Amino acid sequence: MQIFVNPDYKFVKHRWKGIAISMIFVIAGIAAYFANGINWGIDFAGGAAITLKFRDAVPLTELRRDLPDATIQQYGKAEERNIYIRLPEQKRESDYAGQVVGQLHERLNPGQTGKHDLNYDGRDKLASLLKQNDPDNRGTNPQAIQHYDDLSKKIIDQRSKVGIFTSMQQVTSTEGVSANAARLLNEKTYLGRFNPLSQENVGPQVGAELQRKALFAIILSSLAMGLYIWFRFRDFTFGMGAVACIVHDVAISLAFMLIMKLEFSLNIVAALLTIVGYSINDTVVMYDRVRENRRKIKKGLSLAEHLDLAINQTLSRTILTSGSVFLVLVALIAFGGDVIRGFAWILMIGVISGTYSTLMIVPAVALAFDRWTSKTTTAAPARIEPQRSETPARKRKAS
Amino acid sequence: MNRNVIWKIVLILGVLAIFTIAIIPTSSNPEPIKRGLDLKGGVHLVMRVNVNEAVRLETDQGMNSLRTQAQAQNLPVPSVRRIDDLTFVANPPAGVPTSNYERIARDFLPAFEITPISDGLRFHMKPQAQSQLQRDTVTQAVEAIDRRVNALGVTEPIIVPESNDRIVIQLPGVDDPARVKDIIKTTAQLQFRLVEGNSASTAQAVFDSLTPAQRAATDILPANEEDDMGRVVGVKYVAVQKNVPVSGRDLKNARVQKGRVGEPVIGFSFTPDGTPKFAALTKNNIGRYMAIVLDNKVVSYPVIKSEITGEGVIEGSFTTQQANDLSLVLRSGSLPASLTQLEERTVGPSLGRDSIRQGVTASVIGFLILVAALIVYYKGAGINAVVALLLNLVILLGMMAYFHATLTLPGLAGIILTLGMAVDTNVLVFERIREELREKKTVRAAIEQGFSRAFATIIDTHLTTIISALFLFQFGTGPIKGFAVTLLIGLGASVFTAFFVSRMIFDIVYKPTDRPKELSI
Repeated sequence: MQIFVNPDYKFVKHRWKGIAISMIFVIAGIAAYFANGINWGIDFAGGAAITLKFRDAVPLTELRRDLPDATIQQYGKAEERNIYIRLPEQKRESDYAGQVVGQLHERLNPGQTGKHDLNYDGRDKLASLLKQNDPDNRGTNPQAIQHYDDLSKKIIDQRSKVGIFTSMQQVTSTEGVSANAARLLNEKTYLGRFNPLSQENVGPQVGAELQRKALFAIILSSLAMGLYIWFRFRDFTFGMGAVACIVHDVAISLAFMLIMKLEFSLNIVAALLTIVGYSINDTVVMYDRVRENRRKIKKGLSLAEHLDLAINQTLSRTILTSGSVFLVLVALIAFGGDVIRGFAWILMIGVISGTYSTLMIVPAVALAFDRWTSKTTTAAPARIEPQRSETPARKRKAS
Repeated sequence: MNRNVIWKIVLILGVLAIFTIAIIPTSSNPEPIKRGLDLKGGVHLVMRVNVNEAVRLETDQGMNSLRTQAQAQNLPVPSVRRIDDLTFVANPPAGVPTSNYERIARDFLPAFEITPISDGLRFHMKPQAQSQLQRDTVTQAVEAIDRRVNALGVTEPIIVPESNDRIVIQLPGVDDPARVKDIIKTTAQLQFRLVEGNSASTAQAVFDSLTPAQRAATDILPANEEDDMGRVVGVKYVAVQKNVPVSGRDLKNARVQKGRVGEPVIGFSFTPDGTPKFAALTKNNIGRYMAIVLDNKVVSYPVIKSEITGEGVIEGSFTTQQANDLSLVLRSGSLPASLTQLEERTVGPSLGRDSIRQGVTASVIGFLILVAALIVYYKGAGINAVVALLLNLVILLGMMAYFHATLTLPGLAGIILTLGMAVDTNVLVFERIREELREKKTVRAAIEQGFSRAFATIIDTHLTTIISALFLFQFGTGPIKGFAVTLLIGLGASVFTAFFVSRMIFDIVYKPTDRPKELSI
């Protein structure tokens, strides 16, 4: 199968349209920024993020009453009864998330003091309850300790499997729970209303630092990439084209993030850094082709003609490669879960924009720089000539 | 088949075997690739060690040591006063030359710089001494946390210092964050300080009962108000001297004992260094109250009846559980300074399980789509690329096992993403081969040219992605580092598979000697 057979598209001729389309995107992003601001994630804004799984109906009114300054929303599918709670940044460093979870546990499970909550407590607490009461009459020897450690692990694993215990039956039917142990559990434990799935807490200091580090990482890696291209191709024009390509792709991805109000998290930064390295690939492949063609028989062609020729020659590869990553990203967006989704979306936009910028933006920037340098210096005039879209047809068919 | 090809096959099968062995779970190594906290569940903490506390303590001990040494050398004891965490001044009684004290300072207070001032000497901690002390403080804190976490039985914890005053703590499999944080954060800083004035029910009342001089030199700390049976009935306040003559650093051991009426108490003994300090403190202050302060709370303040050498007892209203926990943290060493939590990321076991399921599902589906696309587009050569991808996957996983890299959720996405990117090497070569074929080259020549021409380009595209993955590795923590790692390893593996494996398959299927006419591409 083949999609592009001897393509001969005039990319250079249409470059201004390409730039216009990108500008529209970036302006829409800037507008979204002024309209909505940045949806900073907990990594950068600080504060606490808590995910809870509820045993039965989610007590939204109670949660909103107890946590007036929190953003509370459903996480995942409705039938999973998972709730995401986001709390704003605290002025001081503290164990904010832990305290809130502890308080919610007390308020939502009143009158249960002194009993163990099998939906809340961990393995260790359950094990020590079992060891203390020794329902299986094992004594206090190492084997007995091992026996109860194993038993509590099995019960907690069972909880992980079902998500949250909804009836004592689920607990006592766990493999290895004896009749006596079941009696003990029925007497000394209860099933609380929620299970903490995750809790995160980022203090003001770490948040501010991560912002700075993320910015530096993106800027430095873009510059490193430009330097690499410059040295590799001994061509400043190409280096600038590459940097422009990276800036374009990152800008488009950010614009998308702002328009879609995606949360700006560490994962998004990881996606942006990956884009910096990956979206440049198409450009490198295209540059390689220009260099190869210059060495070979294509003497006498202008830079614009060289760019058009190389883009067309590598077009099939460019689309296929981006396409395969695109397919993988579709799978990640569809099935990867909430943590991966935002990350995969940004990558997808970056990949699309990376391909687009190689075709439309890079040639424009390379040409602009080439003209600018030819005005300021008189070196290598042969390469530069005024660009017209009606340049004569190439002697040799682009293959 | 020519020998060259046979050797290549042996090499590739060898590589395949080595990496396959690495990822097969065995009874001794049930989890060849370790899961990160986000997949396994566990607690990730970043704590700041409040190193200035240790600095202040050092200054206190310097003040103390100046006084005790003056006494030991039969000089009049100077009055000393702390200016800030790093500085104190000593004023000898009128008529006594400061040179005597300078000599003591040179011998016993090497960490301080001495400058004469109008009526005495000013002691300021040297910058090197201060930074050394701060480093030591963090190291000691790491060690203490390590001992505590080990006592709790956490498997494979990671406790490492980071950027000056921070400690990163990773506890895989811990599903009760509140309890673990309590045990880690308890400073267990034990201090023995002299009491001034009387206790009262409010801090203000205690403050009012002190003389202005006493007010400047004391801290007012809370204590438990107990009834005759030792039960806690309320809070009261006690003024204790700011100066800390003996601290938990001087403690050698601690264990739970039974008190007079069978209540739990904590017995302790001093180190060889601590014994004389405590002996001097008790000997010089018989009849006064001495407060036992634990993490800025007065546990008890018995009256000193005689000189105590070597051993002592802390009485307080503890439950057995509290006494056990306290002796555990005292034994495993107090923290040299308190900790402040800067960051926490805790993932429960259920969520980790969900994440793995989703991540694996997405990856498998992504892989199948990729395989289908390759075979549809490139037919026979597509199968070749799929074989290269599979080998790429095995090498990637095997390398992770050998390097003990942890697999995180973004890392899982990184694996499948890397495979998507690795397709690029094959695409570059295949497209090149197609071009050569269109130029009416023979199948063999097209294969040769395709591989050799694509080589430089492939190296370029990999290098750019590797550069950004290195930045990512440097920038990221935990899950993101995991992503960078899979990206780096996967890209390396992809160069190998494209040039060795794809190439070899072409060589086997389209043997040079056969002069093949058709290429399935």
